[in-house]
Amino acid sequence: MKNFDLIDRYFDNSLSPKEQLLFNDLLQNDPDFKNEFVFRKDLKKVIAASQQEDLKSTLGQFENKIQRSSRLMFLPKKWLVAASIMILASVGIYSVKSTYYPSNNAIYEMYFQSCRNTIQPVVRGENPNTIENSAFVAYEAHDYHKAINLFNSVADPDAAYINFYKALSYLEIDRSSKAIELLLPISKATNLQGKSADFSEKANWYLALAYVKNQENLKAIKELSFIVDQPSGTFKKEEATEILSYLK
Amino acid sequence: MSNLDTKNIIELLKQGDEKTLEKIYLENREGFINFSKKYNVEEYDAVDIYQDSILVLRENAINGKIDTLQSNISTYLFAIGKYKIFHNFRVQSKLDFESDFNLVAENMDFDVNLYSSNLTKEQTLLKKYYDELGDRCKSVLNLFYYQGYNLDEIRIILNYSNKKVLKSQKSRCIKQLRNLVNKHYEEF
Repeated sequence: MKNFDLIDRYFDNSLSPKEQLLFNDLLQNDPDFKNEFVFRKDLKKVIAASQQEDLKSTLGQFENKIQRSSRLMFLPKKWLVAASIMILASVGIYSVKSTYYPSNNAIYEMYFQSCRNTIQPVVRGENPNTIENSAFVAYEAHDYHKAINLFNSVADPDAAYINFYKALSYLEIDRSSKAIELLLPISKATNLQGKSADFSEKANWYLALAYVKNQENLKAIKELSFIVDQPSGTFKKEEATEILSYLK
Repeated sequence: MSNLDTKNIIELLKQGDEKTLEKIYLENREGFINFSKKYNVEEYDAVDIYQDSILVLRENAINGKIDTLQSNISTYLFAIGKYKIFHNFRVQSKLDFESDFNLVAENMDFDVNLYSSNLTKEQTLLKKYYDELGDRCKSVLNLFYYQGYNLDEIRIILNYSNKKVLKSQKSRCIKQLRNLVNKHYEEF
């Protein structure tokens, strides 16, 4: 049995010159030794064959991957050409249309800018620990769902400035009808005071945009005309004039 | 590609790293098929030759034949493929291939046996039972007899507590194979 170790030493190339001589001698004169050596040499060959089969099937998988992706590329060549012409044509039509007649959504996106929170500038460490403050923190962090919930829970939820920022939160999450509902009374109010003063003008502007977004062009035109016609007002007058030129 | 890269790639090939293999396969496939077209080899045949060349590449990496390879792997792979095209398709212009033949002659084991159909009756039977062995036995035998690691290295790779345990595991696996082959040889 000890001699079989020599066979393994042969396989990992660690026979000393002396052992090599013994190895050669045993191979010639000891049938058991020779038998074992042939068996292990066969084993080496067999494992190689088995490994090659595995590798061959792996390469087959690589090849399948390539064939699959090239089938996708080449089979419907005619269709691809047709499809790309269609896409080019429709992009062309779309871009012409959107240059000369911007869609309501495009107008909205062009002109809508979040209104900064001017009520309660959020300053780290200096703000009162109130629901109202948390609501404005959420608003500034663009967490509009949370802001709406908090605005609903403040001490005076009907204050014009609260409703204004709640409306803007709704606009941010694409719920323009809800925003219109809230902005309408603020835009009509004439006696806003305290924190809510000045919000009527802003409400007009955002109401107009909300109508644009909601595809209510006639109402939007009415609001925008109102802004443009304010003799003393300067807020968003230019922008209102531009949008009017698209809508009329 | 520097020599260091080539050495790393050869080491990864020895270990049977599939990602390396896939990378080599994909990087050179298109080029090889285009090259074959010059000698009127159909794409179907070219892919076959290419796959065999990859097999030879791995075999030679494992046999240690390309441990000191000076050229990069792609050059070597192409040389094997060109050599095969020359032999399989009796390409006339042997001159085209001269430098490739030299590279292959220095770095290739021509004895690589790619097809199981070349196995003897005993070897075929042995392969059948080797394929049926448990994963543990297969790993030990594969690492030792095919990949050429010694027992100290295998102990680390397979996480054996000591060499003795590994050694007797290996002996048991061989004995198991031997018994199965002897038992079924008559009825085969």
